[in-house]
Order: sequence, then C-alpha cells, then structure tokens
Amino acid sequence: MAKKNELIKGGIDSLLLCVIVQQPVYGYQIIKELERRSQGYFKFKEGTLYPALHRLDKAGLIRGEWQTLPNGRQRRYYYITEKGLYTLAAKRGQWLDFLTAMNLIIQPAGK
Amino acid sequence: MLTVLSNYLDSIRDNLRLDHSSEKEVIQELETHIEDEVEELRESGLSEKEAADTCLTLLGSAKIVARQIYEAHSQGSWTQALLAATPHILFGLLFALNWWRGVGWLLGMLVLVLVTAVYGWWRGKPAWLFPWLGYSLLPVVAAALLLLYLPKSWSWVAIIVYLPLALWLLYSVTVNTIKRDWLYTSLMLLPLPTIIGWFVAIEPVNQLPEHWLQRMQDFAPWIGLTFLALGVTVATFIRLRRRWLRVSVLVVSGMITLTMVAYYAEGRLSIPAFLILMVVMLLVLLSPALVERTLRHSG
Repeated sequence: MAKKNELIKGGIDSLLLCVIVQQPVYGYQIIKELERRSQGYFKFKEGTLYPALHRLDKAGLIRGEWQTLPNGRQRRYYYITEKGLYTLAAKRGQWLDFLTAMNLIIQPAGK
Repeated sequence: MLTVLSNYLDSIRDNLRLDHSSEKEVIQELETHIEDEVEELRESGLSEKEAADTCLTLLGSAKIVARQIYEAHSQGSWTQALLAATPHILFGLLFALNWWRGVGWLLGMLVLVLVTAVYGWWRGKPAWLFPWLGYSLLPVVAAALLLLYLPKSWSWVAIIVYLPLALWLLYSVTVNTIKRDWLYTSLMLLPLPTIIGWFVAIEPVNQLPEHWLQRMQDFAPWIGLTFLALGVTVATFIRLRRRWLRVSVLVVSGMITLTMVAYYAEGRLSIPAFLILMVVMLLVLLSPALVERTLRHSG
C-alpha cells in the first residue's frame, strides 16, 4: 500500500487536473470522482487532497471560488485556468511517453 | 458537529499558522468536506460516532494535513522576498555608504520603516511585514535608553511615563506576532543579536561620544555588510516552504553574522563574549517557540 501511495503522490497533480478540467468540482467530489473513474484503485488519505489543491491554486493552475448552495451552505469549487490547461497537456504527453516506455519493457512485443 | 470532529478542526487550526483569512477559508473547506463525508457514511448505515471515526481515519493526521497546507501557502513570491529584505538592505546601506551620520537619511529611514510597518499591519500582517516591524521597534528601545541618560528629574519622567508605554507596546506587538506564528517573531528579532554584537564590539561605556562615533565610522562598512547578509537570509526565508528549513536558515544566519562581527571587530570581542552572544542569539531566535507553547496552554 505504501508503494501505491508513493505512485499516487507522484502523479497527484496530473490526476487532479484531469478531474478539474472536465467540470468545476469541490474537494469531496474530486475524491469520489477519482475513486469512481479508477474503479476504487485511487483511494488515499483525503487530508492530502487539500494541500495538493492549494498548491495548484497557488501555482495558478487552478482557481478556487466559493459558491453558495440553495440550502445556504458554501462550497469551494475549483476551475482550471489557461496555465493549468497547458500544464495538463504537457503532463499528459509525459505520462503517455512514460507508459509507452514502461509497456515496452514490462510487456515486450512477441512475449 | 461531534466534539471529536470539532477537535480535529481545532487541531488543524492550531497548527496551520496562516493569516486569518486563509485560515478561515481552509477550515471552512475542511468543515464542508467533513459534513459531506459524515452525511454519506450515515446514509450507508453507520452511526454518528462510527461515521465521525471513519471520516477522521480517511482524512489522516491533523498535524500532517496542517503542515502540508502550511507548506502549500508558505512560500512567498520573489517580490515579497525583496520587500522583506529591504529594511535590512537599507540599514546595511545606511552604514556601508556612511549615511548613518546624516539626520536626513535617518529621519527618512525612520518614516519609511514606520509607514511600511503600519501599512503591513493594516493589510493583515503578511510575512514581509515582520522585518519592517522589527526595525520600527528599534527607535522605541533607543528612545528609552536615551531618556535614561537625561538629567535625574527627567529620567524619572521616562521611568514613570515612557518606559511602561514602551514595554506595553513591545509586549503587545511580540505577543500578537507569536500568536500569528512564532517564526515571524524570530524573523522580527533577527537583527537584535547582530546589533548587540556590534554594540559590545564598539564598547561605548565610559568613552567620550566622539571616540565612540569614530569607532562606529571605522566599523561602518562591516556593520553594513552584516546587515546585507541578514537581507539575504530574510529573502531565503520567505522563499522556503518547510518550517524546519526556515528555522535552520535563521539560526545559521545568526551564527554567520555573529562570526562576521567577531572577525571584523579585530579582537575586540573576546571568546567568552562571543560564546555568550551565540547563546543570546539562540535564545532570541528560539524562545518565541516556547512562549507560543505557553500561550497556547494558558489560553
């Protein structure tokens, strides 16, 4: 589990940007969305989500905005920024190259 | 909300050490998260207590979460780093360029420091404020020392009127800063060991003022250099994210500047005096952490 968490930690920025790019989302929704889309694989300490979101916000890759719900509660929704879109495109490219290279080694053609 | 959940949020608040508005936003966001999670867990059939316990397990240690959020917020921009280093640089230039004997320069510096400190305090005490705040308190201490040298009848006025006011101001600013983050108190007090070091090296006791001023003149470039070194320290401090690195950079800088004082003072600082100054420096820079702990336990 510790090794899996290390892997997630390394790719958390890309994972968050991939979720936020689809629609504005709030913290708890991101946790649920990651769990759903990874079929339960991405389960991590939820407290680590907010430091990562705030880091991306500070770096200008996402933007947090408070919204008041019809029941009066307030939620902070995250939106991707122009800079975030460029970064996500770059990170996607890096991941795809990495996965291709890993596959070439883990599952060599003809074996 | 159950006490256990409120305690969790309180523990995060105590360890965040962010400015008031950021702290409020972080706590509100986590509170919403907890409410959403507990509601969903209860819908899945758990009791209120089981839902709260599960939620806390999923969130993880409050101290770790607070530390990571602090690290996400703590790094200042290069502009903030420059702004924080500016009072040290100006103080350094005051000596390095021999402006310290010009009343105009001193008054200009005093006004700039006071105006910036008041502006920063009014703007919610950002990290760049604290070096300015430290220098803005120097004239308060200097005035108290000068008043003690007045004729006896006047020095009583100083003791009865000025000293209590000055002590109240110093106490109130220090306690308020410690409540924000003890590290900012250390940042505020950073020049103090260097100032004491040069004061001891110049030895004004029982000497004529002219002799003292001449010695200041001789040492002025080196005094300037030590304050420029403090400017570099503060800029580095603002750019660092991790607390232990910030503490280390302040302590190492204290050691380096005091070593510079001892080296450039050309033997005027004895080894015991140098060692005492090192202890004073460690006390000045690290004791705010103990005061913070005491304040938390008492209130």
